[in-house]
Amino acid sequence: MIEREVLELDVLFVGAGPASLAGAVHLQRLLRESGQNASVGVLEKAGEVGAHSLSGAIVDPRALRELFPDKNDQDFPFEAEVSEEHLYYLTETRKIPFPFIPPSMNHHGCYVASLGKLTRWLGEACEKDGVDIFCGFAGTELLYDGDQVIGVRTGDRGIDKKGVQKQHFEPGADIHAKVVVLGEGTRGSLTKILLQRHNLMDERNPQVWAVGVKELWQMPAGIVQPGYVAHTMGFPLGHDIFGGAFLYGMKNDIWNLGLVVGLDYKNPGVDSHHELQNLKTHPWIRSLIEGGKMVAYGAKSLPEGGWYSIPKLSISGAMLIGDSAGFMNGQRLKGIHLAMKSGMLAAETISKALAENNFTESKLGDYEDRMKSSWIRDELWKVRNFHQGFDHGLFGGLTNAGIGLLTGGRGWGFKNRLTSEAGHLQLEKGLKKDRYKDLKFDGTYLFDKVTDVYHSATAHEEDQVPHLHVNEPDICITKCAEEYDNPCKNFCPANVFEMVPDGENQRLQINFSNCVHCKTCDIMDPYQIIDWVPPEGGDGPTWINL
Amino acid sequence: MDILVVLEDNRGSLHRMSKEAIAGAQKMGGSISALAIGVNADAMAGELSGVDLTEVITINHDLVSSYNADGYSDVVSQVIKSESPQTIVIGHSYQTRDFMPRVSAKLDIPFIPDIISMDDGIVKQVLNAKLNALVTTSADQVILSFQSATFSEEAMVTGSCLARSIEVNLDSSIVRSEAEDPFQEDAGDVDLESAELIVSIGRGIEKEENISMAFDLAKVLGAEVSASRPVVDSGWVESFRQVGSSGQTVAPKLYFSLGISGAIQHVVGIKGSKNILAINKDPDAPIFEIADYAVVGDLLDIIPKLIEALQTEKDL
Repeated sequence: MIEREVLELDVLFVGAGPASLAGAVHLQRLLRESGQNASVGVLEKAGEVGAHSLSGAIVDPRALRELFPDKNDQDFPFEAEVSEEHLYYLTETRKIPFPFIPPSMNHHGCYVASLGKLTRWLGEACEKDGVDIFCGFAGTELLYDGDQVIGVRTGDRGIDKKGVQKQHFEPGADIHAKVVVLGEGTRGSLTKILLQRHNLMDERNPQVWAVGVKELWQMPAGIVQPGYVAHTMGFPLGHDIFGGAFLYGMKNDIWNLGLVVGLDYKNPGVDSHHELQNLKTHPWIRSLIEGGKMVAYGAKSLPEGGWYSIPKLSISGAMLIGDSAGFMNGQRLKGIHLAMKSGMLAAETISKALAENNFTESKLGDYEDRMKSSWIRDELWKVRNFHQGFDHGLFGGLTNAGIGLLTGGRGWGFKNRLTSEAGHLQLEKGLKKDRYKDLKFDGTYLFDKVTDVYHSATAHEEDQVPHLHVNEPDICITKCAEEYDNPCKNFCPANVFEMVPDGENQRLQINFSNCVHCKTCDIMDPYQIIDWVPPEGGDGPTWINL
Repeated sequence: MDILVVLEDNRGSLHRMSKEAIAGAQKMGGSISALAIGVNADAMAGELSGVDLTEVITINHDLVSSYNADGYSDVVSQVIKSESPQTIVIGHSYQTRDFMPRVSAKLDIPFIPDIISMDDGIVKQVLNAKLNALVTTSADQVILSFQSATFSEEAMVTGSCLARSIEVNLDSSIVRSEAEDPFQEDAGDVDLESAELIVSIGRGIEKEENISMAFDLAKVLGAEVSASRPVVDSGWVESFRQVGSSGQTVAPKLYFSLGISGAIQHVVGIKGSKNILAINKDPDAPIFEIADYAVVGDLLDIIPKLIEALQTEKDL
């Protein structure tokens, strides 16, 4: 038996993203106002707050204004107010402006921002407010008393690749809390366990995801207009793959260029990193980055399912907030304000629960009621069938979205709810068209995957058990190789998975130290045998401005 | 005294990086003294008798007869205080990293470590060797350490120098550790950072059985063996041999790269090499962009012949 340190808290948020940090700030305020005294902590697997935060991002300031009523928008750590916005349809060589920008895609009054900067700023606000943020500690296990969640165990340190304790072995700690709030972000590893164990997705549409890949480009002075916003559809994804590109002007002459690729495509050869490189072969995009230098790279999955893919939000002792609960508006391409609001609503419920010392499922269920009568519901209800329409291609999706605007979100104009299937089930067997045979990495504008990964500044202790658990590795070399030609090679935007020759056969090589923690493998693997679990605390990308 | 070069004892003789540090100091110009510490101080001074220096100061005190961080940092601090050199230079070895920060803190003299060039000011690598930074200091005194092979030991200017023995007062209570006899174990006998010749293995070696071939080549060359991450990850060589962003940074005179593709993660660890010779089957491998000598071909064919040729040469 390993002896573990035990830490007793009242409330523990897992994952220092916008949802948890906004929730913690709000909770501290509510506790102060109601004269309660409670200890609030936040666990974060990154070495510092913000290092694993990545988003587009255009931020709707609504939640921030509610959270900090005394502040002005100028006080928030934004890059710039949206000053100019465009929506284009791209062919291989041309760009065609949409005749008008639909109101749902209008970003007027919103701000271009770096989520990494925003979370760092929120983290400081939390610490000023007396919230303890434990950086470099990942939650790896939920602690239960019966069916009630009573805490989280953090990961052990100092275990070698064979699973043997090294000299400096340090067991994880047990952090006990009356309420554990999972704000792990997209496809959280504890969230995944919680959803399954308590059947929280029953009667919901399965969550569908996309993966966003992006690069920051440092440009010569005077080219980048801060607050410039362009979104595109069409090239390079075509009509059968959900998604599109974004280009935002940031401070200090930086372009923020990225691509979102729906993780419900059919061709197992699709590679989001390569699609981003293809995007840069478009003459317009190429002209925009001319003379620039790529300085940072990152990737993150994002929940696209919308309203009908939101799980049941509370069980005894635990709640789900932010991306862990799927609070993302796919049509507006925004989720940060929803994540923050969900954390704040959870805080309101927690404050009441602490006052009554009641943490049962029915008491914590108050959070779901609050969410349903908040503006989160108003916003997501209107676009509840948005993503499902894209099962019928780009034009089907746009038509459905267009009609939805007139009918308050009904599918195809009449259905209240369109169903959907999990994205990995969409993959088709058999060899498909190689989309990248003409793609040549020139090292100046187009980069191979490992070079991009280098610019994510990701680092992992090499001598540890790979944190990507492949439960049945035999499937990789037999069934998967035959049926899908190992799509892990392609869907991972960080070159973690490789099939390498092994005598007559092949074997799976897991380059886990390349991992940028996007979770795409856990989501998109057709056999669902990959389990992403946190590596040693502090490992992973070191994003500053993504 | 303008410059004080602190020497390192490498089992009875002068460490190569100390000679490089002297060459660097000579290039900077001014009056130069060297400091030799320990039971081999006189031998090191002897090695430098034909080198153009003002003097070699020797110190042999029981408490610093062999290296220990407490004793060295105290002795070096005393000499800096009494001799007041403007610049203190040293090779950037493991030993330097162990004691020199203490000297810097103790005397409040800035320490600029791991310098790669002095041509146009002080240059060091930052952010995983992604950028070179030009560093300046406004302090009156400064400590500099040079990365391996920043200067060439052959560039040492010959001349003459005196040896001067000085006494230091050392309180036994400050020395909290005592070195045992040097021994070789694991990583102990592989000092990649100061190796002059390195044979490095990449995925092109294909199989674990072929690893011995690289070691044979290293043996006939008198080189150390390193490897890229996938080779270490496969468990074919020990992890202390890994070179690159998650391993060691090396700067040999010749880096002999066998079947390494040259991903940027690896290249940042070998940038400082004076010469890179690369063998790779793939003519488009990025390693060829930085290689000084490129051989496109199958290393499994080439190495045995190379070993044979080198062996014949040696036997002659």
